Amino acid sequence: PSRFRVMMSDGRHTLSSFMLSTQLNHMAEENILAPNCICNLKRHVTNILKDGRRVVIILEIDVIKPAKDVAGRIGDPTPYTEGQSKGPQSAPVPENRPPLQPQNRNEGLLGGRCLKGHNTKCMNPYMCVELTSGLIRCPKNEECRNDKLRFLFFFCNRWTIRARVTNKGSIRTWSNSRGDGKLFSMEIVDESGEIRVTGFNQEVDKFYSLIEAGKVYYISKGSLKLANKQYTSVKNDYEMTLNGESTIIPCEDSCDVPMVQCDFVSIGDLENRDKDAIVDVIGVCKSVDDISRLTTKSNREVSKRTLSLMDMSGKVVTVTLWGEEAEKFDGSSQPVVAIKGAKLSDFGGRSLSASFSSTLMINPDIPEAYKLRGWYDKEGHAMDGQSLTEVKGGSGGGNTNWKSLSDVKTEHLGHGDKADYYTCVATIVFLRKENCLYQACPSQDCNKKVVDQQNGMFRCEKCDKEFPNFKYRLILSANIADYGDNQWVTCFQESAEAILGQNAAYLGQLKDSNEAAFDEVFQHANFNTFVFRNRVKLETYNDESRIKATVMDVKPVDHKEYSKRLILNIRKLAANH
Amino acid sequence: MASLLDASKPRINCSMLSQHIGRGVCFVGRVEKVHPTGKTFSVSDGEGKSATVELNEPLEEELSGIVEVIGMVSSKGVITTTTYNILREDKGIPFDLELYNEALKVIHDFPQYYPFEVAASG
Repeated sequence: PSRFRVMMSDGRHTLSSFMLSTQLNHMAEENILAPNCICNLKRHVTNILKDGRRVVIILEIDVIKPAKDVAGRIGDPTPYTEGQSKGPQSAPVPENRPPLQPQNRNEGLLGGRCLKGHNTKCMNPYMCVELTSGLIRCPKNEECRNDKLRFLFFFCNRWTIRARVTNKGSIRTWSNSRGDGKLFSMEIVDESGEIRVTGFNQEVDKFYSLIEAGKVYYISKGSLKLANKQYTSVKNDYEMTLNGESTIIPCEDSCDVPMVQCDFVSIGDLENRDKDAIVDVIGVCKSVDDISRLTTKSNREVSKRTLSLMDMSGKVVTVTLWGEEAEKFDGSSQPVVAIKGAKLSDFGGRSLSASFSSTLMINPDIPEAYKLRGWYDKEGHAMDGQSLTEVKGGSGGGNTNWKSLSDVKTEHLGHGDKADYYTCVATIVFLRKENCLYQACPSQDCNKKVVDQQNGMFRCEKCDKEFPNFKYRLILSANIADYGDNQWVTCFQESAEAILGQNAAYLGQLKDSNEAAFDEVFQHANFNTFVFRNRVKLETYNDESRIKATVMDVKPVDHKEYSKRLILNIRKLAANH
Repeated sequence: MASLLDASKPRINCSMLSQHIGRGVCFVGRVEKVHPTGKTFSVSDGEGKSATVELNEPLEEELSGIVEVIGMVSSKGVITTTTYNILREDKGIPFDLELYNEALKVIHDFPQYYPFEVAASG
C-alpha cells in the first residue's frame, strides 16, 4: 500500500517527518486530510530509523477545520531543527500541536508508548521500561523487545516522572585520598514501581533541603545505571543519580501517587522463602502480646512485642516489633498491618521481625488493606488460622487449634514425629495430691530435684553443689474431662499453681504443717473449668508407647469468646447439611 | 399459678412473643422506661425491639440495666410477671445481650437439640 508523508505546522515550525499510518490512507485519498486543514493529532507513535532520524506515525487524527475553510497558511513557520525553538509570537497559537513530547507527563515512572503504539506505563516515546523488573519490553507485545533500545534509554533522558519520596536518608560524607565528598539517597515510588535516587556533592546542596519525605515531586533528567542491590531492598534493577541537569519540582496534585510500593508476599508463601529473606507482608493483626523488655548483650534495654498476623491464605505468622514501634503499637480492633522490608527467620519454623530498616504501616490506605479488612470482617475473624510459628508458651500469637478431648484421640494427635498442640475447654475431675510436690535446687535457673543428704544439706547433681535448703516445685497429675472424653495431663509449676490457686512454696508449707488445709486446696480446685493449652506426644518407654499430655497454659474460660465460637460452629454445621 | 411454675419457660425475645401467648416465658432484656407508678416498665431485647412488662406489685427498688423476667404472655403481648432478676453490671463479666440473642436463635432454630419441654406433673 502507498505511504503518505505529511508535513505539519504548528504555526511556529514545520516538520515533515510525519507518516500517515496505512489504515488512515483513505483520509489522504479522499482529500479529508488536505494541505492547510487544521487537525488534532490524537494518537501517534515515534519510530527511530536506522540512521537515527525520527519519524512520527500518525495513528489517529481529527480534522477540525477542513482545508477549504482555512484562509491559507497560518503564521510564519520555519522548518524545525532539534534544539531550536522560536519564542512566542503575537500570532494566535493554532490548535493543532504535533506533540513531539509526551502528552501526559503523569503516566508513571518512565511511561509512554512502545514502538507498536501500545500505551504502557512508559513516559519515553521511544521505548517502554518496566521499572520493577528493569527489562525493556512492552508488556503487550514481546516483539517490541529490543536490546539496542536499552542503551538508548540510558542516554536519552527526556522523561519526567512524578513520584513520592518514601524514604529520605541523611547526608553522608566521606574523605579519602581522592578528596572529600557527600551524598544523600532517597527512595521514590509511583504507580508503576520504585527506584533509589542518589545525589552527590552539588546535588546535595541543591536538593537536600528542598525534599521532604512523603511529598510528591516532578523529577527529570536523572541518569540511570544498574543498581547495587546489596544494600537495598528496593525492587529495581536500576538506580538513578541526580546530575547537573536534573530538576526536582514539588507537585501539588499528588493524591493518586501511592504512598508506598510493596510487593506483598502471602503469609502462606513464607514457608517457601529462604530464611533471612527481606519481604513485604500485609495481614490482619489477630492478637498482640504484652510488651516485654530485654537486656541486650551490650547491656541496653530494649522493648519487644509480638503480634500474630493473618492473611487470606488462612495462615498466621508471628511478627516481632522492637523499640519504639513495639511500645507505640496498638493492636486493639485488629488493625491491618503492613510491613515493608520485614526480615524472615526460621525461628519456630517461620517468623518475621521488623528491623530498623523496615517500614511498619497500620491500616495503610492501599487497596490490599481494604480487601483484607473486608475479608476479615466477613470470614477471617472466625478462622483460627494455621500458624507458621510454633509457639511453645501456648498463649497468644500461635495457632489455637480448638479441639474436644475426643477429637484429640480420634485424630491421633501426638502420633506424628513432632508434638501436637491443641486448645480445649475442659473441667478438672481429679487431682492427684500425692507426690505433687518435689524438692528442687534453690538456684535460680535450676529446677532439678535435689537429694536429701539427711544431714540438713541437699545436693544438686546438676549444679554439683550442696545447699542447706531447697525450693518446692509442683508436678501435678490431673484428669480433665469434657462432654465426650477425658485426658490425663501433667501440669508443671505455673499451670499447677494457676489450677490450685496457691504457689508451690505455700503448698509445701501446708503439706508439712496442716494436712487438712492442704487437702482443702485440692478439693476447692476440683471441678473447675478452664481453657487448657496442651501438648501431646507419643512417648516410648521400654517397648511401651503412651500418649503424654502436658499442660502448657491454663486460662479461665472467656465465656463470651466461647459462646461466639460455639454459635459459629453450630451455624457452620447447620449450613453444611 | 402452679402450672406456670411447673411448665418450662422458654427463653424468648420480642419477635417470639406472639407465638407464646398464654404461655410462661423467660425474657432477658434491657430496662428502657419505668412507668411512674412502678407497675409497668418496658424492656428491649438483643435485636433492639421492645416489650412491656407488667408487675403484680409495684417496684420497690430502682430498676435499670439488664433484667431477667419470668412471667406469662398476655393476649396483648404484654409479659405479666411474678418475678424478675437484675443481672448486675458491676459484678463479673458484662452481659452481652446481642450474643444472648444469637444463642436464643440457635435454641429456637434447633429445638430437637434443646428439648426443654418438661412434662407437667399432676
